[in-house]
Amino acid sequence: MVKLKKGGIRTAEIPSSSMADIAFLLLLFFLVSTVIDVDTGIGMNLPEYVPIEEQELVPLSKDRLASLLINENGDVLLDKNVIAVPQIKKVLIPRIESKIDLPKNKKLVVSVKTDRKTNYNLYIQAIDQVKGAYADVKEAYAKANWGKDILEISEDQKNELKEKIPIIISIAEPEKIK
Amino acid sequence: MKFAKKRATVKQEISTASMPDIVFMLLLFFMVSTTLREVDVFVQYKLPEAEAIEKIENKRLISYIWVGNDGRVQLNDNLVKINEVQDIMYEKRQALPNVIVSLRVDKSSEMGIVTDIQQELRKAFCLRINYSAMLKE
Repeated sequence: MVKLKKGGIRTAEIPSSSMADIAFLLLLFFLVSTVIDVDTGIGMNLPEYVPIEEQELVPLSKDRLASLLINENGDVLLDKNVIAVPQIKKVLIPRIESKIDLPKNKKLVVSVKTDRKTNYNLYIQAIDQVKGAYADVKEAYAKANWGKDILEISEDQKNELKEKIPIIISIAEPEKIK
Repeated sequence: MKFAKKRATVKQEISTASMPDIVFMLLLFFMVSTTLREVDVFVQYKLPEAEAIEKIENKRLISYIWVGNDGRVQLNDNLVKINEVQDIMYEKRQALPNVIVSLRVDKSSEMGIVTDIQQELRKAFCLRINYSAMLKE
């Protein structure tokens, strides 16, 4: 008698060993493609609000003040001289350096003034230059005095740096619309 | 004559061994995507680029103000008028005394609106600000 049999025993399983790989791939894809926004920016401190009637004018010697004016056409004026934005850093560095050893009330004050129609990007570029100048001076000071990178200095040295080279950027009081 | 039954020889199961992986993946995805979008930003903006930028270490202290390319201002979850900024920020400052205000301003904006916001912030005594900027490549 002949026994009829159709082929071998077939198992219809979906291979699951690679499932984990697929899951990891997807996970990696999402990890890479999502933009985690880091909060970076230029930190500033605003002056306290004082009503116009109570405002006092404090005289500031010309030597101490670096006034930066930016008008609506994008012209930049540093102490009454027309200057290109990328030049600001170069001009400010020697001025900051010359005041490292002076007492606290003789340090450089950078005043920034803009028009209402000035482009915001240009303003940021200018502030960036000023901040960059301070950062460069600080770095050079740390290198010269302690032979260390600015990120490696101790807390005490950081305080000394802050005292010697304070960043004083003054945002000018907006004027009434003429 | 005897025939072998066909149906009984085939297994009909879907493997469940990878189920945990899939669940974990989904979980991770939702965790990541929900923490990122805390508020819906209604305005469109492109941040300026700068070199001398710093990171804000304490994310908890940050409060955002957006200014879009059409000049609209967003604070928290909704669009506000500039003269409302003072009251909202004053309340915020009372809850969080050393709040840092991160200004996410579109780079094509004019300084007028930024100055107005700054004046409002000064009146509300929120003096620590941060001009949000991207690192210049």
